[in-house]
Amino acid sequence: MNYVQVEKLGEGTYATVYKGRSRATNEIVALKEIHLDAEEGTPSTAIREISLMKELKHVNIVRLYDVIHTETKLVLIFEYCDRDLKKYMDLNGDRGALDPVTVRSFMYQLLKGTAFCHENRVLHRDLKPQNLLINRKGELKLGDFGLARAFGVPVNTFSNEVVTLWYRAPDVLMGSRTYSTSIDIWSCGCIFAEMISGVPIFRGRDNQDQLLHIMRIVGTPDERTLRKIATEGQIDPANANKQYPRYPKIPFSQVLPKASPQALDLLERLLQFDPSKRITAAEALSHPYFTGSIPFGLPGPVPGSMGPPAYNYPHPHSHQQQQMQHQQQQQQAQAQAHAAYVQAQGGMMHPQHGQTSAFAAQQDPVRLAQAQQAQAQAQAQAQAQAQAQAHAQAQAMAMAQAQAQAQGQGQPMMGYAPPYPQQYATGGR
Amino acid sequence: MSITIYPLASLSQIEKTPSREDGIPPELEEDLRAYGCKLIHEAGILLKQKQVAVATAQILFHRFWYVTSMKQFGIGDIGMGALYLASKLEECPIRMRELINVYDLLLQRASHTTGSTSSAQQYSDFKYVPMSYFGSTFYDLKDALVVAEMQILKRLGFNVHVVLPYGTLVNYLRVLGLTSREDVCTRAWGYLNDALQTPVYALYPVPTIVSAAIMLTTRHLGISLPSSPENRWWELFDAEWEDVWSVCGYIMRLYRERDAEDQKRLWGTAETLNARGRTAADI
Repeated sequence: MNYVQVEKLGEGTYATVYKGRSRATNEIVALKEIHLDAEEGTPSTAIREISLMKELKHVNIVRLYDVIHTETKLVLIFEYCDRDLKKYMDLNGDRGALDPVTVRSFMYQLLKGTAFCHENRVLHRDLKPQNLLINRKGELKLGDFGLARAFGVPVNTFSNEVVTLWYRAPDVLMGSRTYSTSIDIWSCGCIFAEMISGVPIFRGRDNQDQLLHIMRIVGTPDERTLRKIATEGQIDPANANKQYPRYPKIPFSQVLPKASPQALDLLERLLQFDPSKRITAAEALSHPYFTGSIPFGLPGPVPGSMGPPAYNYPHPHSHQQQQMQHQQQQQQAQAQAHAAYVQAQGGMMHPQHGQTSAFAAQQDPVRLAQAQQAQAQAQAQAQAQAQAQAHAQAQAMAMAQAQAQAQGQGQPMMGYAPPYPQQYATGGR
Repeated sequence: MSITIYPLASLSQIEKTPSREDGIPPELEEDLRAYGCKLIHEAGILLKQKQVAVATAQILFHRFWYVTSMKQFGIGDIGMGALYLASKLEECPIRMRELINVYDLLLQRASHTTGSTSSAQQYSDFKYVPMSYFGSTFYDLKDALVVAEMQILKRLGFNVHVVLPYGTLVNYLRVLGLTSREDVCTRAWGYLNDALQTPVYALYPVPTIVSAAIMLTTRHLGISLPSSPENRWWELFDAEWEDVWSVCGYIMRLYRERDAEDQKRLWGTAETLNARGRTAADI
């Protein structure tokens, strides 16, 4: 194989993700190994992921570089990103809440990626912070693998089987069977609110509870709107005539006192109960929140190219020679940070622990809370541990890194050309 | 680059298919393609599978033979793999065991038919012998199925997106004001389904194929549509006359008279090729 495994990042029911390195270019990549099951052949999630993602080439979508197909396994080679948005908010936010400039940059990139998917007739259908990856340049990318959680989540169903409901659109919760781009827009709205406040905006326990959480903030729509959603969504008549408590609308300014008026206006348009009234991703991108002057008194960077404050590592792509020395110094710092990150990751991703708690949570809402607590504890422990161990490990890592660096310098640094197999059946005519 | 674009065979792939490179005569390849698609169709009916999955399978099946020779894989195995894969793609998966049982039945029936002398005998005394519990038939077929699915994905480079013609047909019939004629709708729909036995879905864009189905229908039923040089109805659907005509030819060839000898030769070869394909795949 042209890639070496560096370390394991996570494991799910049908795949294992490793951090890897390309032998040819030394570029760091993510290797997603899918075990081929003799009982069901190639998993349909993998088929869908590959057939869709290989076409989606955009700066705000995790790139699928290559697919290696062997007798027993399928390895997907993805662009490597350091962490997901959830983790980013935990580490860099003020109790999870991000500063307005970062929120705006991430939101712009999220909508850019989503708009690109929609232009290409792809619905993500599972947008959530765990599926949004952030690299060290501060670029946000839509991905499908939230390592611990996204595995095995069937992206095609809208049933209650999925692990988290918090980003699911109300029309879907009501049982709509006609999906459209508006479901991704709802998720974008939820993520927007979560970046501003640091906590998920609608936290329901089950389908029904989730719907009530939504109605308590955006208000219960009138009978006519509900009926319209039921008809347009071809909702099963058994579900269509459900009665809902009548909640008044709470202004978002009350829910998110920190947000600017323009941010609130965009949020309002994203979180429309009626899917036909929701703004499109392309329209949202030209909303005054992005185009208007910045009310924060900071000379804001161009949206989409902003670097986050905490990390300033050189990107592996930048191969200017003069940076090499500088790079070596920073590599050490990077080694430290990585050791800490990996440790924390290891604690979180313990396969058995993660797996069982996710399944238990599906069955019992009370245990969901317990499982989450347990997970939070495990995470906190892991982080504390990581900090202690990171120091010791960093020295060892730095040495190894320096060695690797020395070897790496002997090889020409060439631009990475994704060698996707050129055997596509039948090229366009 | 849009996902909605579906791949079509390139000119070089059409001029010399991998099977023809391997010395398989074009007529035989044509017959084997049609035969493989009939098996997929029959299996789909026995499995009560949705037509969208069956049609998708047939289109993938045709694409496959533009990148692979029939000497390498059997049409039975690839048909089975295509149906299994298409069922996943269309989100109505089927169980391996059921698919394998159905294919076993179909293949047994085919070999029975080949051995019989009269057509009456062909159907009367066929008796299905279920797979033996301890035999290797099931496991052989299962291995073949997994390999076939993987080979289709691999050789098509995961380009498994398929656009089906039905929605387009409804649209065009509306535009032409023909939706009230039930005979027109049924017949055109039938031509689209029959066309699945021919390679046209791997060769021409959907509007061209749908135009051909409408062309055949209206000609057959004696309905006149605007066809004067400045006012041609197919141009409304961005179809070229030569292409529409060629698709019509592919479809009409399916209905040509075949003598019994010809028929028998076809089935005999299908048998041997299928068996050979299996061994080749195992090696």
